[in-house]
Amino acid sequence: MNYVECFRAIARHRTDEIVITSAGNSGQAWWAATRDSVASFYLDASMSLSTMFASGLALAQPDLKIWAFMGDGAFAMNPGMLMVERQMNLPNLTHFLVSNRVYGATSNAGLPNAAHNDYAAIARAFGLERVFAFRDLATLERDFPALKTANAPGHTFVVLEVEPFSDAEQKLEQPPFDGPELKFRFGRHVESLTGCDIFGYRI
Amino acid sequence: MTEKTATVAARIADELASCGVKLVASLPDNWLMDVIKTIEHDVRFTHVPVNREESAIGLCSGAYMGAMGSAALMGASGFMTVIYALTKINYTYEIPLFLMATLRGAVGDHHKHHISNGLYLRPVLDAISMPYQIIEKPDDLGLISRCYHHTRTFSRPMVVLFTRDLLRGGH
Repeated sequence: MNYVECFRAIARHRTDEIVITSAGNSGQAWWAATRDSVASFYLDASMSLSTMFASGLALAQPDLKIWAFMGDGAFAMNPGMLMVERQMNLPNLTHFLVSNRVYGATSNAGLPNAAHNDYAAIARAFGLERVFAFRDLATLERDFPALKTANAPGHTFVVLEVEPFSDAEQKLEQPPFDGPELKFRFGRHVESLTGCDIFGYRI
Repeated sequence: MTEKTATVAARIADELASCGVKLVASLPDNWLMDVIKTIEHDVRFTHVPVNREESAIGLCSGAYMGAMGSAALMGASGFMTVIYALTKINYTYEIPLFLMATLRGAVGDHHKHHISNGLYLRPVLDAISMPYQIIEKPDDLGLISRCYHHTRTFSRPMVVLFTRDLLRGGH
C-alpha cells in the first residue's frame, strides 16, 4: 500500500477517535491526510513512545477511543512495549504498526532483519488477541469496520504493510506546531470532550 | 520489609495520593522494592510495571494529557537511560512529569558498580537543567508533594532522589 493513501483510507473511517502519531513519517502522513490540528497529537519528539503515551491517555480517559501510530523503526527500538500494552489491555486503545521496513524518517535507512520481521506474530506471541494485518487498500477498506467494533474486549494491534515514502513524499509538510501549542490545542480538545481539567492545576 | 521501611513506603504512598497521583509506573531497584510492593497493593493507585524506564516517561506523559496524576519510579541507572525521552517529550511539549529515583553511588551504597551513578547522576541532571530534591530522612518526605506541585506549576519534569538510608532504614 502507498503510505499516504493508507492513512487517507483510515482517516475516512475515523469518527471520534483521538490520534497520536510517532516520530517518523506517520505525523507527516496523518497531517497530509487530515490537517487535524486539535484531535491529533503529533508526538514527533519521541522514538518508540507514541503507544506508551497513548496508553497513559487511554487509561486516564477510558471513554475516549485512542488510535496510536508507530513505525516499525520505532517498534524495533522498544518491542517490549507490547508487554506493557498487553498487561494493561486497554479496550479503547488501537496500536497501528506502520511497517515500511525502513527507518523512514532518516531517508529510508535500512532496518534490521527487515525482510523477516513478522510483527503480527510478535504481537500474538506477547499474548495480544485482537491482531489485524493489512497489505492492500481494498482489504483495508473492506475489513476496517471490524476492528472498530464497539465494546471489543482488550487492546487492538494493527499491522499496516506500506511502501516507504518516495523522495517526493519525504518532502511532505511536517505538522506546523511548536510543542506547547500542540499541547494546548490537543489538551483543550480533550478537556472539551471529557470535562476533565488538564491545565487548571492548583495547589 | 522492616517496620521502619514499611513506614517510609507508606508515607511515600500517602504523599503521592495526597497529590492526586493515580498512576505509578515503575521499574525495580532493590532499594525501592518496599515502595513498589506498597504501591502495588494500594487501591488508590494503578501500578504499571513497565519494560524499560522510557516507557514510564511515555505512559506518565500521556496520562497527564488525560488529566491523570502520575509518578514514575525507577533506579538511578534507569534514570540515566531516559534523558532522550525526558528532553524530547517533556521539554519539547512542556509536559510536567514527576519522577522518583534512587541516589545510587552515594555514600552508603554497598554496590561498587554504581560508581558511575555516584559520579555522573547529579552532573547529568545539572547538564539538562532538571531540578532535583534529595530526600534523606523520613521527616523530609513531605517534600514529595512540594516537588510534585512544582512540576505542575512550571510544566517541567522534576526528580526526587531517595537515599539508601531512607529506603533501607539506615542499615
